[in-house]
Amino acid sequence: MHNLSMALKNLKNNFSFYALYLLSVTFVITVFFAFTSFSMNAVMLEKISNDGRVETMCNTISVFLMAFVVFYMSYSNRFFLRRRTKELGIYALLGYRKSTILSLLITENLLTCSGAFIAGILLGGFFHKGIVFGITKLLDLAVNHSEIPFFNPNAVMKTACFISAVVIVLALSNSRFLFRTSLMDLVRYEKSAEKRMSFHAVPSVIGFLAVITGYCLALDILRGAESLWLTIGFYPVGMLTSALILSGTVLFIASFLPFAVQAGKKNKRKFYTETKIITAPGFIYRIHSNSRTLIMLTLLSAATLTVSSVMALSLYYPIAAVSRMAPSEIECRIENESEITAFKQIINEYSPGDDVTFLQTDIYKVTSTAGQLPVEYSIGTSKGDSDNEKILRDAGFECIPFSNYTVLLEAQGRTKALEQLATLNNNECILIKYQPDSDNDETGNVYPLLIGNHEIPVTVTAVTLDNPISFANSVGTLIVSDDLYHMLTEQAVPAAKVLSINGKSIEDNEALFQALSEYLSGSPYLQGNSHRVHEIFSLSSSTFLLIGFLVVLFFIATGSILYFNNVSAITDSKSDYDILRKMGYTDRKIKKIIQKQTAAFFIIPFLFGLADCIFATLVYKSALMQNILKNSLVLYTPTMAAIMLTFIIYLAYYRMTVHTCCKAVLTK
Amino acid sequence: MSALLEATEVTKIYARAQHPSLNKVSFSVAKSEFIAIMGASGSGKTTLLNVLSTIDTPTSGSITIDGVNIKNLSDSGAADFRRDKLGFIFQEYLLLDSLTIFENIAVPLTLQKLPPKKIENMVRSLAEAFGIDPQLNKYPNELSGGQRQRASALRAIVKRPSILFADEPTGALDSSSATDLLNTLKESNESLNTTILMVTHDAYAASFADRILIFKDGCIIRELFRQNDDRRTFYESIAREVAKLDTER
Ligand SMILES: Nc1ncnc2c1ncn2[C@@H]1O[C@H](COP(=O)(O)OP(=O)(O)OP(=O)(O)O)[C@@H](O)[C@H]1O
Ligand SMILES: [Mg+2]
Repeated sequence: MHNLSMALKNLKNNFSFYALYLLSVTFVITVFFAFTSFSMNAVMLEKISNDGRVETMCNTISVFLMAFVVFYMSYSNRFFLRRRTKELGIYALLGYRKSTILSLLITENLLTCSGAFIAGILLGGFFHKGIVFGITKLLDLAVNHSEIPFFNPNAVMKTACFISAVVIVLALSNSRFLFRTSLMDLVRYEKSAEKRMSFHAVPSVIGFLAVITGYCLALDILRGAESLWLTIGFYPVGMLTSALILSGTVLFIASFLPFAVQAGKKNKRKFYTETKIITAPGFIYRIHSNSRTLIMLTLLSAATLTVSSVMALSLYYPIAAVSRMAPSEIECRIENESEITAFKQIINEYSPGDDVTFLQTDIYKVTSTAGQLPVEYSIGTSKGDSDNEKILRDAGFECIPFSNYTVLLEAQGRTKALEQLATLNNNECILIKYQPDSDNDETGNVYPLLIGNHEIPVTVTAVTLDNPISFANSVGTLIVSDDLYHMLTEQAVPAAKVLSINGKSIEDNEALFQALSEYLSGSPYLQGNSHRVHEIFSLSSSTFLLIGFLVVLFFIATGSILYFNNVSAITDSKSDYDILRKMGYTDRKIKKIIQKQTAAFFIIPFLFGLADCIFATLVYKSALMQNILKNSLVLYTPTMAAIMLTFIIYLAYYRMTVHTCCKAVLTK
Repeated sequence: MSALLEATEVTKIYARAQHPSLNKVSFSVAKSEFIAIMGASGSGKTTLLNVLSTIDTPTSGSITIDGVNIKNLSDSGAADFRRDKLGFIFQEYLLLDSLTIFENIAVPLTLQKLPPKKIENMVRSLAEAFGIDPQLNKYPNELSGGQRQRASALRAIVKRPSILFADEPTGALDSSSATDLLNTLKESNESLNTTILMVTHDAYAASFADRILIFKDGCIIRELFRQNDDRRTFYESIAREVAKLDTER
C-alpha cells in the first residue's frame, strides 16, 4: 500500500488516539505562537517597558519556552510511539522494511504536526489578542487594537521554523529507536521492560540523609546572626543546600522510595491486604521504570511552586510594607504655612471631598549622650542604609508629641494600634522601630535627652512598628508626652514640619499626586500611600505577568505529563485488572487500587515541591528581603494561596486521570 | 451425588449474532468431579465458561452453583461470589508481572482477608506439595511457560474454590509441561476434592477428566464417561470420538 494512503488510513482508524496527540501538539504550538507574537508586539512592549527589562525577560522566558516545547513534544512523541510499538512490530513481522515503517511514521507525524500547526496558529492568534486585551484592561493602557496584527508574519515564520526543527529532531530520534530495537522487542515491547530489580541500602540512606540535611540547613537561617548562612556566607551555603536537596531528591525517588516500600513488604500484616499486595509491587515496578520522569516532574513542580510562592511574596510584601513606608495618604514637608493653602486648593481642584484632614507635625531633633543608643538614632547618617538615600540626615531622636501621634493614627484609620496605646508620663517615651528586632528590645532603656542645657532622662515604655510618619520624613522617631514636647518647642526650632493629609475621597487619585509632585517640583519628601501601591503595581506588573505565564506553563506541563504517564501505565496493564476482576475484585476495589497507584505519582512531586517551596520561601524571606514588617503568619498568605492553588490544580488533574483510567479499565 | 453446579436451558445470543452461541444447554456437575469440555473452534466452549463463571450473563436459562442462583447476583455480589467460590486458569497464564510468584498466589487469599500468618502457611505448604517452592520468590518473567501456568493453577487452587474453571490451560504448553499441569489439576481434584471444569481441544488433556462433554454449535452433542477405564483406554476412546466428529463435518 502506498505510504501516504496507509498513513491516512491509520489516522482515520485511530482517530481518538491521534486526536490526543494532535491536541497536545496544538496546545504547545498555541502557547509558543502566542508568546512569540507577544514578544514581537512592538506596540505593547513600548507601553509596558521603559528600560528594556521586559524585553530581557521575554528573551529569557522564550529560552524556557523553547526547552518546554522540545521537552513536551518529545515526551508526547515517545508516549505515542511507545503505545504503537506493537503495531509497528506487526508491520515488521509482515515484512515491511524498517525504512518503510519509518517513513510511515514520519508521514503521520508530518500530517499531525501540520494540522496542529494550523490550529495552533489560529488559536495562538486569539490567545495573544486575549493577553493583550487583559493587560491593557489591567494596567489601564490606551492601545489601538487595530495596530496589533492577528498574525504577525515574523512570529508565524519563527514558529514554523522552530516547530519544523523539532519535528526533524523527533524524526531522527524515532529512527534511532526503530533501528535499535530488535523485532522481538518491538512485538513485545510493552512486556519487555521488566528486569529483576535491585535494592541498594547505601544510596537510599544517602538520599534520605541528603534531603534531611538540606532542609535542616535551610531551617538554620532562622537562627539569625548565628546561622551558617551569615557566618559562612549566603552564596556557598545556598549552593550547598540546593546541591544537597537536588541530589537527595534524585536518590530519594530513585532509591529510597522503592527500598522503603520493599522493606515495608516485610510487614506482613500491612502488606497482605487485597489492595496493598497489588499496589506496593506495582509502585516499586513503576518507580523503577519511571524514576527519571518522576524526578523531572518533582523538580518541575518544586520550581513551579517556589517561583509562584516567591513571586506572590515579593509582590505582596512591598504592598504590605506601604503602610510603613507611606502611612498617610499624602505626606510632605512644608516650609511655611502659606503652602498649606496652596495644597488645599490643589486638592479641592482634583477631589472636592469634605472628609480630608490636614495635620501638621513639627519634628524636633534631640541628641542624647547615652552610651548605648538604638540603631534608629543614627540610621541614614551615611549612604546606603535607609529608605530615602538621596538625603543624609543628622543623628538624633526626632520627637513628636503623643497627642499628634494618636490623631495621626486615627486619621490613617489604624484603630488597632490606637487601642494598644497608654498615655505617657513626662519621663516616658515610645520608640518607633525601623525594623523588627527581637534580639535587642529597647523597652525599659533610659535615654537622657539633651534639651537646652538640661539632660532629661526618658524611659522607653514601648517600642512600636506603627510609625505615623514615613521614613522619608522621619527616622528615629520618639513619641514624647505633650508637656515634654512643649518644653522642646520653647528651646529649639523644629527640624522639619510635616503635613499629613488623609481622607477617603483623595485615595487612589494618581492625578492629584502628580499635581502635588509638580507643585513641589519632585520633592523626595512627598510620599503617598495609594501612589506607592500604584507605583509597585505598574513597576512589577509586566514582570509578574511574564513569570505568571511561565508558572502556568509549568503547571500545564507537570499536569499533563502526570496525566499521560498514569493513563498509559494503567491502560497498559488493563489485562492485569481483568485478571483481578475475574478473581473477584469488585469494581470499587479496583477503582481504589487505581486511585492509590495514581495518587502516589501525584503526591510525590507535590509533597517534594511543597517542602522545597516552603524552605526556599523561608530562606528568601529571611535573607533576601528587606525586613520592616512584623513577622507574622499573615505575611505568608500569598505563599499559602500559591500552595492552595497548586493543590487544587493537582487535585483536578488527579481526578481527571483517575476518571480516564477507570473508564479505560472498567469497561466490559 | 449432590449437584454442585446445575445449568438449565442456558442460552447465550450475542448482540448482532445470527446463531446462538449457546443453545439451551443443560447439564449438572457433581461435587469433586473433573469435567472436560471439548468441541470445535467456535462451538461455544469459552462462552459457556464465561456464563457459568459470572463473567458474562446468559440470555436465558438458569445457573445454580453451590445453591446460589447466579442470575440474582448484583455486580459486586458476583465479584464476591467469584472471590469466595470460583477459581480460574486461562490459556495465557495471566500472572501479574510486577508481583512475585508467592505474591501472585497470595492475592486471592488477601482478597478473602485471611490473617497474614495463615496466608503464608497456605501458600508455602501448597507450593511444597506441588513442587514449585524454589520459584516462589521469582517474578513471572523469570519462569518458563509451564512453570507460570502451574503457578497460575496454584493461584486458582489455593483458596479451595468450589469450582475451578480452566479455559484451554494447556493450549500454550509443550507436552511435558502440559502433563505437569494436568497432573497438578488431577492431584488437586483427588486430594483436595477440587471440582474442575476444563475446556480443551486436546484428547490427551481430556483423558485426565472423569467425564467429557462434547460441544457443537452451542449444544452438547455427546457425553463420555471414564467409568473404570484407565487413562490410556479412556484416551483412545476420546480420540476415536473426536475422529468421528471430524469425519461428520
Ligand atoms: N463477544 C462476542 N460477541 C459476539 N459473538 C461472539 C463473542 N464471543 C464469541 N462470539 C461467538 O460465539 C461463538 C462461540 O464462541 P466461543 O468463544 O465460545 O468459542 P470457543 O468454543 O471457545 O472457540 P475456541 O475453541 O476457538 O476458543 C462463536 O461463533 C463466536 O463468533
Ligand atoms: Mg475459546
